[in-house]
Amino acid sequence: MIIAQNIGVSIAKTDILSDLSFHAGAGQLTAIVGPNGSGKTTLLKALTGELPYTGKISLDGDDMRSFSTAALAARRAVLPQAAVLAFPFNVLEVVRLGLLSGLHVHDSDLPQRALKHVGLAGFEARFYHELSGGEQQRCQLARVLVQVWHPVRDGKPSWLFLDEPVSALDIGHQLEVMQIARDFADQGGSVIAVMHDLNLTAMFANSVALIAGGRRVIQDSPENVLTDAHISNAYRCNVQVNATPNAGGGAPYLLPHMASIRRA
Amino acid sequence: MVRVLTFPMTVAMAVGLYVLTASADDAQADRVLSIGGSVTEIVYALGEQDRLIARDTTSSYPIEAEALPDVGYMRALSPEGILSVNPQLIIAEAGSGPHETIAVMEDADIPFIQIPDGYDSDAVVAKIHAVAVALGVPEKGDALAADVAAQFATLDTATETPARVLFILSMQGGRIMAAGAHSGADGIIAMAGGINAISEFEGYKPLTDEAVSAANPDVIVMMDRGGDHAAEDADLWANPAISTTPAAQTQSIVRINGLLLLGFGPRTPEAVTQLHAALYGDR
Amino acid sequence: MVTMDTTVPTAMPRPIGDRRVLAVRVIWLSAFVLALTIVASLTVGASGTSLFAALIDWASDNEIGLREQVILFDIRAPRTLMGVLVGASLAVSGAVMQGLFRNPLADPGLVGVSAGAGLGAILAIVLGGLLPATIAALTGIYTVPIAAFLGGWLTTMLLYKVATNRGRTSVAVMLLAGIAVGALSGALSGVLVYMADDTQLRDLTFWGLGSLAGATWGKFAVAAPLILLSLATTPFLAKGLNALTLGEATAEHLGIRVQRLKNIAILTVAGATGAAVAVSGGIGFVGIVVPHLLRLAIGPDHRYLLPASAFLGATLLLIADMISRTIIAPAELPIGIVTAIIGGPFFLYILLRNRGILDM
Repeated sequence: MIIAQNIGVSIAKTDILSDLSFHAGAGQLTAIVGPNGSGKTTLLKALTGELPYTGKISLDGDDMRSFSTAALAARRAVLPQAAVLAFPFNVLEVVRLGLLSGLHVHDSDLPQRALKHVGLAGFEARFYHELSGGEQQRCQLARVLVQVWHPVRDGKPSWLFLDEPVSALDIGHQLEVMQIARDFADQGGSVIAVMHDLNLTAMFANSVALIAGGRRVIQDSPENVLTDAHISNAYRCNVQVNATPNAGGGAPYLLPHMASIRRA
Repeated sequence: MVRVLTFPMTVAMAVGLYVLTASADDAQADRVLSIGGSVTEIVYALGEQDRLIARDTTSSYPIEAEALPDVGYMRALSPEGILSVNPQLIIAEAGSGPHETIAVMEDADIPFIQIPDGYDSDAVVAKIHAVAVALGVPEKGDALAADVAAQFATLDTATETPARVLFILSMQGGRIMAAGAHSGADGIIAMAGGINAISEFEGYKPLTDEAVSAANPDVIVMMDRGGDHAAEDADLWANPAISTTPAAQTQSIVRINGLLLLGFGPRTPEAVTQLHAALYGDR
Repeated sequence: MVTMDTTVPTAMPRPIGDRRVLAVRVIWLSAFVLALTIVASLTVGASGTSLFAALIDWASDNEIGLREQVILFDIRAPRTLMGVLVGASLAVSGAVMQGLFRNPLADPGLVGVSAGAGLGAILAIVLGGLLPATIAALTGIYTVPIAAFLGGWLTTMLLYKVATNRGRTSVAVMLLAGIAVGALSGALSGVLVYMADDTQLRDLTFWGLGSLAGATWGKFAVAAPLILLSLATTPFLAKGLNALTLGEATAEHLGIRVQRLKNIAILTVAGATGAAVAVSGGIGFVGIVVPHLLRLAIGPDHRYLLPASAFLGATLLLIADMISRTIIAPAELPIGIVTAIIGGPFFLYILLRNRGILDM
């Protein structure tokens, strides 16, 4: 369980987040959504310890600040939005960097399995910088998976932090990657993902945190957060949320509203 | 680890490839390396040139010297380069080096004799004595020194109105590199009866344009490097700083071979005569 | 018909894209080539003296002449060992800097080491006469190398202080500050050059071009511990530098203590480059060309790149030195000229051949 209480982050004396609370549990895929500039990525960076924050964040009961770099690396992996490499590493070498946390060094074919998992089998010898944006994103996902391969280890959940994991992907790969994340959560791990696509969020997330303006957070199940009122309020546009006809519970889905487009 | 392998020196010297003669007559080293243009000139003037086996880059006179192997610039001598020509004696102008190379010569038991430098007639005479002693021919040295001293004595360079002389070492990109006090050029100008137009600094330094005007030279002296003098002169007089000087108005420029002018060797009386004639010949 | 068994049994099948075996082979090969080069460097020189002839003499109980001894043990041996150390430290420093700055064109010069060392050397050459007699007697002929090392070290530490805010070092600030300090020490050097007399000016010129000619056992004893100590830290940097290629944040997420990595890397480079520049002057190109070549051959994994750089850097510098001391023998060409003449066009050729890989 990650619990963030009254946290604040300021960058260059500007408050990006203030007095904000958030939680995410094991076995769940928690999505962080919100309009551009609302502080989604900043929240994720505070949660991963990348940005200094005020307030308190606890990871499975222990203060986040009490973890060493190595101890954190053994518990959680972070997928950044985009990664440009300085040197010509090939795909296999990039994925192998996930072994640096030291958990799976003896599992010699783990990188290959991870690549297969993200649909990049056969890409091992390709240079990372020659891949398409989507392939690079999946290559990084394979690296992250190698770092925390087991969703549960020593009775504790592993954590995956994903910053817009499907932004560069086509629809087929979007579903594939979201399914990988969901599987990780279903097997007892925990996934926190910053998402732009509200439909994918509705389909795969167990919990959604909607941030507006770095302060107000509405966090609940997708059906309770992704409503006409919340979304039009946060994103300042009118959309109509529907329910999928065939899915059991009726997951919400959104279509852009013609009226709102004309008004813009 | 080096010292462990060092053999007794006497044995080593006896067995060394070329060192055999040294044990027979220590006073007469037959393989001499001469470093510095004036030292080489003195060796030739002493008639000991047959003992020379190599020289440095600055030793370009007499012309036969250039046929000798060149061990490089006198301040950047390579230790193995020197050892490769097998010298038994090294005679070098003051300032030769670097230190490390000299230290190696001491290790190799090769005498490295430094000849003191100076920019007047006494210094030239002292140099001749020192080189002759180093070569083991002091009597020849006495004779040459007396001859040169006599030449100096006959020089009459006194003038009532000494000319102000600006020595220009180089004009890189229009920047004038001039000779100040305590330089070879300063010495030879004084000996030739002139006044160095620059006394504010020592050695060779770049001059600002205004300093050139303020120096107010009557004559400009440069080293003769060959080439198209007419074009160089045109450039020189076109230089805005120089164009205001008396030297430019009378187009007074003297070019003398650099080694002759600044070498301070046996040819220095000749250099003084030439410079004096060039400065005052038309008066 | 004979059915062919297409599965060729191998002891340890290596997956595609795994360059580690190749890298290890290249390291062994470059170590072997370095060993050959060391022997060649002890054997080649302006004089005809040969290591083998001396060894044969020694083995057959013939005494070796003093001249041969001096050439082999007092000239070539310290010079060769110094070349190995300087070449290795220039190449490894280059590779570490490039990893740290995440830029394949970074050079120890960027963090002010070279500029500071140059200023230190110039100060010592021009103002060495003003040193108190006691200090001058203590440092003796090592005044210039010691001043160069201190200059490089102090400059790097100053830049590091400037770039570090609340325990975090900004690599970008350090780079920019390095440019400023480089310009400043260039200007100060200019002032000192103006103050210098003739002899000092010539010393400055030759110091600037770089040479191994001044190598002595004394200098070796001063420089070797510093260089070896600095190089000894690099195996601990390799993994961190690999992770750093993904960016500082991601490296930290992978369990690398990035600030500590930066501290050690900068100390390492300041020590190794400072000592190398101090004893051999400014020798360019080795620090950029060697890591670049190796990245093309074995990939950018620093666990292999750093040791391979040490061997190849040492080899290339020794070869350049052999050229510098034989091509115009008995005179000598400054090694900085040789590395630039060989390195420049070769580097351009490599860039032209590999634009695809490098353009990223």
